[in-house]
Amino acid sequence: MTSSNGAIVGRVVATESLPAGPHEFHFWTALETPIGIGAIVRVTAGAARAVYAVVVDGRAYSDLPSALHDVVASQGDPAGGRGPTHRTEVRLWRAAVLRHEPEEPIQPVPLADVMLATQRDVEAALRMDAYIGGELPRGVPVGVYRAGGLTAAVALDADFLLGPESAHLNISGVSGLATKTSAVEFLLASIFQRLPQRQGSVAAVCFNVKGPDLDFLDQPGDLTDADRELYRVLGIEPRPFNRVRYFAPFKPDGVNLNTLRSHPDLAGSVQPLVWGLREVLGYHEVLLNRDDLDAKADGFLDFLADRVLDKDFRDEWGGTHRVQSFADLERLFRAIFDGLEQAGRADVWRTHHIATIRKVRNRLLNISTRCKGLVTDDGSVSDLPFGAFEDRAVYVIDVAGMDQVAQDLVFTRIVTMLREHLERRDLGVDHLVVFVDELNKYAPGDGPDTYVRKMLLDISERGRYLGLVLFAAQQFRSQVHRRVVGNAGTVLFGRMDMDELATPGYQVLSPATKIKLATLPKGELMVRHPHFTQPVFVRFPRPPVLSGPEGVKRFPPAVDVPFEDAVVRQLAALDRRIAATQVRDAIAGRRDDDVRRALLATRRARPEDPLGYFRAALGPAVARERLAPTAPSAAPLRPVDDPYAP
Amino acid sequence: MTGSVRHRLADALRHVGGTVGAGVPLTHAAPPVTAPFAGASYVEEQRISAIDVGGPAPPPPTVAFLDGIQRYAVEGRIGLVPVVRGYVAAALLVRDAGGLRPADVAAEEFLVVSLARLGPAERQAITEVGPPVVDCSASERAHPILDVQLAARVVERRRERVETELAARHLRASPRGWLVVDGSISDLGALLDDGPRVLGLIKSHETQFLDGIDLETALTLPEGCRTSVFARSAGRRAAVYTWYLRLWPWEEQELFHGLVRVERPAVSEAVGDATGVSRWLLGERAPLAAADARWDRLLYPVQQVETFLRAQAGGWW
Repeated sequence: MTSSNGAIVGRVVATESLPAGPHEFHFWTALETPIGIGAIVRVTAGAARAVYAVVVDGRAYSDLPSALHDVVASQGDPAGGRGPTHRTEVRLWRAAVLRHEPEEPIQPVPLADVMLATQRDVEAALRMDAYIGGELPRGVPVGVYRAGGLTAAVALDADFLLGPESAHLNISGVSGLATKTSAVEFLLASIFQRLPQRQGSVAAVCFNVKGPDLDFLDQPGDLTDADRELYRVLGIEPRPFNRVRYFAPFKPDGVNLNTLRSHPDLAGSVQPLVWGLREVLGYHEVLLNRDDLDAKADGFLDFLADRVLDKDFRDEWGGTHRVQSFADLERLFRAIFDGLEQAGRADVWRTHHIATIRKVRNRLLNISTRCKGLVTDDGSVSDLPFGAFEDRAVYVIDVAGMDQVAQDLVFTRIVTMLREHLERRDLGVDHLVVFVDELNKYAPGDGPDTYVRKMLLDISERGRYLGLVLFAAQQFRSQVHRRVVGNAGTVLFGRMDMDELATPGYQVLSPATKIKLATLPKGELMVRHPHFTQPVFVRFPRPPVLSGPEGVKRFPPAVDVPFEDAVVRQLAALDRRIAATQVRDAIAGRRDDDVRRALLATRRARPEDPLGYFRAALGPAVARERLAPTAPSAAPLRPVDDPYAP
Repeated sequence: MTGSVRHRLADALRHVGGTVGAGVPLTHAAPPVTAPFAGASYVEEQRISAIDVGGPAPPPPTVAFLDGIQRYAVEGRIGLVPVVRGYVAAALLVRDAGGLRPADVAAEEFLVVSLARLGPAERQAITEVGPPVVDCSASERAHPILDVQLAARVVERRRERVETELAARHLRASPRGWLVVDGSISDLGALLDDGPRVLGLIKSHETQFLDGIDLETALTLPEGCRTSVFARSAGRRAAVYTWYLRLWPWEEQELFHGLVRVERPAVSEAVGDATGVSRWLLGERAPLAAADARWDRLLYPVQQVETFLRAQAGGWW
C-alpha cells in the first residue's frame, strides 16, 4: 500500500424512484472528487455493518428544468449569458455491491456516509482476505487497484485460477491495444513466483501463433521506474523466465528452423519439433477433412493404427513390414498394390476396397508434403519432454510460420499428450497452463465442429480436474464458442471494440463501464474472478521479458542459408568451437536425409561433444559405387524420310 | 371568435399607444392590498426618469445573499384557541468565484398560542412540550380565522428577526461587503448605518410610492433601464433610497414582468452606484431561476438560498 484512504467522499441517497437495494445504490459526491468508474467504496452504518461496492456509473446534472431555460438566460447567444453564479450541480454515482459485512441478512444498503476504500477494504470487498493472508495464503497477484491515491495489490485465488475449484483464464481485447499477450506473460511470472510450493509444481506450454510474440521470454525487457514500483507493490521480482524451452519445426528445406528466434546468439536454444508417422497417425482427424473420412476410410485407418504401425506385419505375399515412417508405409502400400495386381484380385484386400486403400494412401502420404518441416518421411522424432516437464518452466511451441493444418496438428497432438500424461500423473508437474492466442480461430462459435474445437471444449470442461489449465486470448469473445469462454473462471478484458461491447454478452455491464473498456489504456484490465462479485479494474506492469517486436530488433532473425551452411550454423550454435570446415568435411558426399537425421539426433541429445556425436550419428561413409556406362540395349532409331526434319 | 377579439383588441391597444399584455385568464379577484400607497421624495433628479444602464456588467467579486423561510401549522385547539407550531430559518450564502457556499444559517422551532386565553394547567401542558412558547395576543372575541392570521404574523416577525440577526452578524464581520437581501431592507434599521453596501430586492409591488407620470414611467420601464433614485417614506422604518429596474421586457407579458425595486441605505454613494449596481443585477439574469414561477424577478443566488433552506428544513411537519 502506498497510501491509505477512508475519508468520507459521499453519501448514499435513496428516493422512491431511485431506491437503495441490496445489490445497488446511488450516492452523491462533491464536484471535485477522487471517485470514478471502477473505484471501490465502503458504506458504514455503525460499527457492525459495512457494505463494499464498486462504482459502475456516474451522472451529473443541474437544477436547470429544461435546455430552453438556458437559451432564454443566454438570450440565444451560446457565447454569452454565462452568469456570475455557477448552477448547482450534482455528481450522482451508481455503485454495485461487492460484499455485505455481515453477509446475512442481506438488506438494502444503509443511507450512510460513503468512504473511499482503504487497502483493508479492497481486500475485504474482493474477498481476498480469505486467501491472501492466514496460514495458507494462495493469492496470485494480477495487478493493482488504484483510486484516490490508494495503490492496493489485487490477487486471484490460485485454487480458482489453476484448479481444482475453478480454472482457466480468458482474455479479450482489440489487437495491439489490449496487451493480452503482455498480461498473460505477467500473470505467468506472477504464478511462477507466488504460487506456494504446497500448491504443487506448475509449468506452461505457450503456442506462439503469430510473429515473434513469445520468442524472447528468457530475455529481460525494458521496464520503467513505475513498472518496478508496481512489481514492488505486488511482491514480484521483475526478472525474465529462467527456464524456457523453445520448439519450432523446420522449414521445408529440413535444416532452417521455422522461427523468428533464429539469431545466432539464440538459435542454439531452439529445439526442432519433428514428428514421424507414429506421432501423426493418431490425429488423422485433424489432417483429413470430413469428405475424406467416411466410415470405410476410418476403418482402414484404424486397421493401420492397430495392426500395422510399429508391429511386424506379414502380408499375404510373404513380405514382412515394420511400418515406423511414411517411407515404410509407402513400401507397404506398394506391396499391397503389386500383390493384388499379381494375384489378379484388384478390388479387395482384407475386406478393404482398393479404392479406399488408395484414397487413404494418397491422403496420408500427402501429410508429409503438407506439413513438410514438421513431419518427416523417415520417422525421425524430436518432441517435447513429455514425462520430464520441469517445475516453473515455460515451453514455447513456435507455430507462427506454419500453415493452419500443421498448426492444428501441433496443437491437437501436444495438448492430447499433455492430457494423457496428466491423467497418468506422469507429466512431471502437477499443474500445466496452456496458453493459446487467437482462440476465435481454434474454437469459433460457429462453423464446422472441428477436432481442435472439440478438444478445447474438453479441456475447458474437464481440464481443471487434471491440472490442465487453459489460458486463452482472442480479439472478439463473442466469436468464441460459448462453452469454452463460459468455463473460464477468470476473465480479463483489455481495451475493447465498441461493436464487440454492443453484443449480448456484455449486457450486464453499465454504459459507463463499457465506455471505460473502450478507452482503457495499455496496461489496464478489467478482471472477473469467482470471488469478485463485480468486475474490477486493475493495472499491471509491463512483463519482465523482452517483447516480440523489441526482441526482433535486438536479435534480428538470421536469413535462411544453403543446406551446408545451415548445418554448420546449427552445430556451431551448440558449440562455438566447431569450425565450418570440420562440418563441411564431415558431410561431404553424404545424403541430405542422412545429414538431417544426424543433425536432429545431435540437437535432441545436446551432447558434450556435438561434432563427435554428429559424426557418430552419420556413421561411416560408404563410398558411392560409380557404375561404368554401358552400351544402350535398344537399337538406335531408324532414320525416316522426313522432309521437315532439321 | 375569441381569438379574433383578442387580435382586434391588441391592434386597438397598439393604435392608441398602449401595450399588449399576456392575457392570462383568471377566475378570482386578487387578494386585497393592505398598503396600496406610500410617499416618496426625489433624490437623484427632480422627477422620475428612465435611464438606460448600458447593459449587464460583472458583479463585485464577493457578494452575500440573504433570505429566510417560514412554515407554520395549526396543530390543534384548546377550545377555540389555535395552537400553532412554527418554524423559521434564514441563511446567508456567499458567492466566491462563481460558487455559492453557506456562510451562516439560523433556524428555530416554536409554538404560538394566545396564553391569555388559556388556564394555568393548559399553559403548563403547552410549555412542557419543549419548544419555546411565543405568546400571541388576540382580541377578546374569538375568531377562528383571524386568530390563526395573528399567529402567522408572529411567525413572520420571528422570521424577520432571524434574518436580521444573520444580517447583523455578517455586517459586523464584513462591513464593506455587498449583501443582497431578498425583500425590503427598511426593517434592518440601525444596521444599515454599518452596511452601506446592503441591497434589498423587492419583487412584489403592492405599495406604490410614485404617482402620475412618475409611476407610469417606473412601471413601464423598458428592458435594461432603471428609474432615477428616489427615497421612499420611512415612517418608523429606516430611510432607504430606491429605484426600479427592468430585468426582462414586459411587452406581451404583465406590467410587473421582470420589474424589481432595488433598495439601498440612504447614503450618497447609493445614488452614484445606482447604474453600476443595476448593471450587475442585469448580469444576474443568468443563470435563470427557472424552476420558480417568479423567475423574471428572482435572482438565481436568492433562489439557491431558498432551496438550501427548504432542503435544511426537509420534511418539517
